[in-house]
Amino acid sequence: MSETILKATNVSKIYGKHKVLDKVSIEIKRGMIYGLIGENGAGKSTFMRTIMGLITIDEGNIELLGETSMKGLQQARRKMGQSIETPALYPELTARQNLRVQAANGGVSERNIEELLHLMNLSHTNDKKAKNFSLGMRQRLAIASTLITNPEFLILDEPTNGLDPSGIVEMREIIQRLVTERGMTVLLSSHLLDELSQIATHYGILHDGKIINELSKEELARETRQFIELETNDAQKAVVILDQLGIKDYEVINGTEINIYEKLDDVAAINRALVAGDVDVSRIGTSRQKLEDYFLQVTGGIPHA
Amino acid sequence: MLNLLAAERIKLFRSKKLYIVLGILFFLPIMQAVSFHFEVLNGKEPVQIIETVINGATAILMIKKNGLTILLVLSAFISFLIGEEFHNGTIRNALSLGRSRTHYYLSKLAVAASVSIVSVIGLTLIGMISYSIAFGFGGIAEITNYTSYAIKTFGTLTLLLLSSVSIYVMISFLTKNSSFSLIWSFLYTIATGFLPSLFQQTEHFKHMTNWFSQTFLFYWDFAQPATVAQYPEMILVSLITIVLSSAVGILLFSRSDVK
Repeated sequence: MSETILKATNVSKIYGKHKVLDKVSIEIKRGMIYGLIGENGAGKSTFMRTIMGLITIDEGNIELLGETSMKGLQQARRKMGQSIETPALYPELTARQNLRVQAANGGVSERNIEELLHLMNLSHTNDKKAKNFSLGMRQRLAIASTLITNPEFLILDEPTNGLDPSGIVEMREIIQRLVTERGMTVLLSSHLLDELSQIATHYGILHDGKIINELSKEELARETRQFIELETNDAQKAVVILDQLGIKDYEVINGTEINIYEKLDDVAAINRALVAGDVDVSRIGTSRQKLEDYFLQVTGGIPHA
Repeated sequence: MLNLLAAERIKLFRSKKLYIVLGILFFLPIMQAVSFHFEVLNGKEPVQIIETVINGATAILMIKKNGLTILLVLSAFISFLIGEEFHNGTIRNALSLGRSRTHYYLSKLAVAASVSIVSVIGLTLIGMISYSIAFGFGGIAEITNYTSYAIKTFGTLTLLLLSSVSIYVMISFLTKNSSFSLIWSFLYTIATGFLPSLFQQTEHFKHMTNWFSQTFLFYWDFAQPATVAQYPEMILVSLITIVLSSAVGILLFSRSDVK
């Protein structure tokens, strides 16, 4: 987990007077599934395009697999795969022919085509043209197409967009398998944090072209997990009682508020113990911040509940 | 570059548009020969300067005879060949693999040029066969060495055509959209067909007439020895057009964003 796959430093992109990306800096290390989250128009696709060299950047630096020069970046991109926005396929070609085209583009052998079709559950499509595929099949074929060059780093822009629930689960499993079985590093985007949280190991929250928060899966879990919210007039005294109850996982927010992350079913017992210990309890109860609420809170969508 | 050409080959041989283009351009001379045969049978006088092609020998001028049709058919083919890559997003597949934009541009130009050359070779050969069957091979007045004339004429006409193909490729990469490319290519073809005659009417722009390769294609009589003497000028104008349009196209495409 130490080798840096992507390091973007202060990347900015300006269209006219609008700064679509504003000093975006992220670092993705090998083995990560980095989830880029942001509402529509936040700059996710633009950022991904800058990494792939499809659009030029106005400021900043991009380092890919240790390469920073123009030529080095081009070489590094040969070890990458992308599916940005809609699945980019030739509608008049079959799944096999689409993969043959991409194999030729990448200058690689066609011998992995059957394996990839099998992996993506597309072996049965035979002579069916891509234009007649369902959206889920097109998404799978687009990912198969990115895998033909056996990339180390995969960029997937909203890969579950438009899929039905079973398609979403299937896509999630495919990405997970690529990471565990092929050791790939993945950067994927979504506007749904809840969806990303099921798969990503690290998160970057992009808002109005700026990265406003970066956190690990553990940090996100901590930020959004269920806890007992305790409000008292004397937090110090309450802490002593909690220690006596054997509660170790808690967090003193300020002089009057404590969040307790264990014994979530023992709210009544904790309340009794505090009262018995002469601690005035103004409020006690379980609370959970939903992922989407957390996202809205950090992006300023709604005030903290 | 070779990898990109290999990918283009796979796409091209499965493209309906290729077969439509070849179908139109291969069928056209047969239709024209049959139609002209009946016109002559009904008393029409075959005059080379009016008809351009009147027998198997003059059928070497099939490109000249069908200049506008060929240009319009090829401009439509090129607009779709390149525009659909942008529309489908498939251009990202090649470029995101670190392929050079110059190579990508040149591979498309090579495909467009190859299809154009195959089309006009087929058109000319089928034209020569069809007109020879209908009117005999015959000859061309004042041309003594036909083989040399045929090679030079066909080469020059093809080069004039390729200069327009190069412009269409540039337009397609700049517009990044099949429909817009189709419209602009059509406007270019029509404009360069009419502008030279307008230039001829003015003193200031008269000298510019011969800087449009289509002027030669549309207005010159290639069966005249005087025109043959102007082939080097035509070749020069064509090569300059190809080099300039490709340079501008590559430069602007390399600097543009691919969405």
